[in-house]
Amino acid sequence: MQRRTLLQAGIATLVVPLAPASAQPAPPAVITAAAANSPNGGPGQITAFLRIGQDGLVDFASPVTEMGQGTHTAHAMIVADELDVPLSAVRVTAGQPEPALRLQPVGEMYSGASFGIRFWHDRIRRAAAQARMALTSAAAERLGAPVGELTTAEGRVLHATSGRSLSYGELVDLAARLPLDDQPRIKPAAERRLTGRAAPRADIPAKTRGAAIYGHDVKLPGMAYAVARLSPVFGAELESFDRASLAGLRGLIDVVPLPNGVAVVAENTWAAMQGAQRITLRFKPTPDQALDSAELIRRLQAGLAAPEAFRGKNDGDIEATLRGAAKGVEATYTAPYLAHAPMETENATVQIQGDRVDVWCSTQHQDWCIRDAARVAGVPRENVRIHTPMTGGGFGRRLVTTIVEQATTVAKAINRPVKLIWTREEEFAQSYWRPAFAARIQAALDAQGKVVGLNLRAAGQSVMGDYRPALFAGPLRGNDPFSLQSISDTRYRFGAFRAEWHRIQAAPKVWLWRSVGSSQYGFFLESFLDEVALAANKDPLALRQELLAHDPRALTVLNTAAREGGWGTPAPAGRHRGLAYVECYGTLCAQVAEISVTGREIRVHKVTVAVDCGDVVNTDTVAAQMQGAVVWGLSAMAAEHITLKDGAAVERNFDTYPILRINQAPQVDTHIIRSGQPLGGIGEPGVPPLAPAVCNAIFAATGRRLRSLPLVDQGLHV
Amino acid sequence: MIDLTVNGQPHRLDAEPDMPLLWALRDLLNLTGTKYGCGIAQCGACTVHLDGQPARSCQTTLGELAGRKVTTIEGLHPEGAHPVQLAWVAEQVPQCGFCQSGQIMSAAAMLAEKPQPSDADIDAAMAGHICRCGTYQRIRAAIHHAAAKT
Repeated sequence: MQRRTLLQAGIATLVVPLAPASAQPAPPAVITAAAANSPNGGPGQITAFLRIGQDGLVDFASPVTEMGQGTHTAHAMIVADELDVPLSAVRVTAGQPEPALRLQPVGEMYSGASFGIRFWHDRIRRAAAQARMALTSAAAERLGAPVGELTTAEGRVLHATSGRSLSYGELVDLAARLPLDDQPRIKPAAERRLTGRAAPRADIPAKTRGAAIYGHDVKLPGMAYAVARLSPVFGAELESFDRASLAGLRGLIDVVPLPNGVAVVAENTWAAMQGAQRITLRFKPTPDQALDSAELIRRLQAGLAAPEAFRGKNDGDIEATLRGAAKGVEATYTAPYLAHAPMETENATVQIQGDRVDVWCSTQHQDWCIRDAARVAGVPRENVRIHTPMTGGGFGRRLVTTIVEQATTVAKAINRPVKLIWTREEEFAQSYWRPAFAARIQAALDAQGKVVGLNLRAAGQSVMGDYRPALFAGPLRGNDPFSLQSISDTRYRFGAFRAEWHRIQAAPKVWLWRSVGSSQYGFFLESFLDEVALAANKDPLALRQELLAHDPRALTVLNTAAREGGWGTPAPAGRHRGLAYVECYGTLCAQVAEISVTGREIRVHKVTVAVDCGDVVNTDTVAAQMQGAVVWGLSAMAAEHITLKDGAAVERNFDTYPILRINQAPQVDTHIIRSGQPLGGIGEPGVPPLAPAVCNAIFAATGRRLRSLPLVDQGLHV
Repeated sequence: MIDLTVNGQPHRLDAEPDMPLLWALRDLLNLTGTKYGCGIAQCGACTVHLDGQPARSCQTTLGELAGRKVTTIEGLHPEGAHPVQLAWVAEQVPQCGFCQSGQIMSAAAMLAEKPQPSDADIDAAMAGHICRCGTYQRIRAAIHHAAAKT
């Protein structure tokens, strides 16, 4: 690889680019200025990915947004481990979209699909190894010692024979002139000091002092504050607004029309909020403006019977197998629309100066922020800088960038920097929900109670259909990669196996919600397998062991959860257990839920998690993600749903869309399995097994099979 | 003009008396550690202390604050080293962290009154807060941790 380097303002830095995330040629030599990234987004910038200064500090421009999932600390651990510097010497911030920071194959910089470690680990480690080797070569030259006699530790190159050593800071000047090794020596697992252990999160201290700056907290000189008021009816466009309805509002600056509403701009957030609440708007009629939940359910049911469907799996002759079965099991399951409801509502701050645009956005998709700001401002994309502040939860919601389009529209209209936020009510109303889904599942058993066939037909909206319509060309109405997630790729062997999805249409936008398709399919299939076990007179664990008998890795995960969760041993008095296993994003996860039931009250006491994500960077982050995923899953199954009336969401805030609270949260015990298989994700895979594990436990306790969520709709409370 | 005391400092604000304390803190005083989460006292992200008692700043107007002392997360301890803050770090509580200023303010107020809280006490004091990342297990552990240190 060619080199880089340079000296500017008398400060040398060693700069190592990440290998590009594709088979594309390596990016050209990276040149960096010494200017640090200005915390409030001034002109300084990080143009490199891994940069070592004369002070020995290491800056890493991460391809990932830190939104609580701990990825920045994990990236720092990988860099520190491979580079042999103290963890505290590495500073991580989200970078700017550049070829090497984009996920492939789509070629965009975003944080999704639990890719933060599994996609980037090897690339980051390689860059850090290249830097370590360049520093070692520089030390060899300075010390007149062969490279083979040198070692690295704690930010220094050591020559044991002579007892001399040099700090990385002393070496960067020379190292920056040396070529990078194209095939650096990557540390084998046995030499890794930091990764695979627990490390404290770098972002936590500031978060306990109120000092972390989120998108909501960005403030620029001369900035105006804007609050959006948008049509609650999906797809309705603004017809008119009555500025006079804001007469007398102190601090009002302007009202800026948007395609589906307005932004009220004022001197502070409170004035803008009052204006947004008070302003009179008229919207044009729209085709789905009478949509309600009953109609949505009718469309889902019609989808289960529709002749056309995308067929994701079709092994063997399922029709003949079902006809010839000694025993059949059939059930229909449904799951509702769900909101992400991150604690920080949507927001963006935009400053336009001439033909340069700066965007501050708590985003999961830096490239789309730039795309949208550039389009609205009428500037080339390279004139837009995206600054990613601390992010108050993502869960997939922040892969949409409508807010940037709106904020740029406002900044352009008022000729001032502006921060636009959505109220909590707007956040709920504007959809991008987990789609509502239904599935009919049939199983065929032979005379010995062995599963010989499984047939699944699902119906629901497509999460990717509006976003990549090209996928949907062709006679099968396209393949949405999430439409049969954790179904068409399951490790279970059912014999004959058909899985189909019928795409329904509805005006609300649906989107990527933590664990996406696996969130509903985990509930459907893992609940149904317990119905099959009952029909076959088998223990739910034994049935799954049969279906996974060919797969030692999956069996280990399943058996670990069962053993640690006490499966097959007597539960404490009044308690009952349920089991489920789901794989998604390259990670296998099994859970045992232990519950008690008092009348209509369900108490989830404990959830035992076994998880195999191949290998682990920060064990404490894996535990934290499992704890969070269990709460997320239990919250959703307990009482979350978006219902529709008159073409709009009924639930608009936490009073009607209740999130699980501390008094409802179970103890979570996590058991990490290091199989050494390729890395899997960790942010999402803990979610799907929770609902079926709890529903299977409720069945064990009460004999009642729950085929529709949330529990509150079934008269049950957590 | 509204006079109020925040973190021991007197302030005179040119604002309407019906402005919620939350927006005065964030937009007028640049104390952004106190967060907007719902605006209807359902999530607890905006929790501050009024004369030592936890209060939802989204539901407290400036007009109510004459003669009262407001403490925000920034003023809980001069070095950010209140036992609850230290326990939050020790137990690695926050994920996204957006709710945690409010969680910490409620936990600190509870521990001032009940230095050795039971799990039921913790449930009662903390159930008004939402953590969407699901850090409840660690919040509980951190409160017990802080209690053990005092």
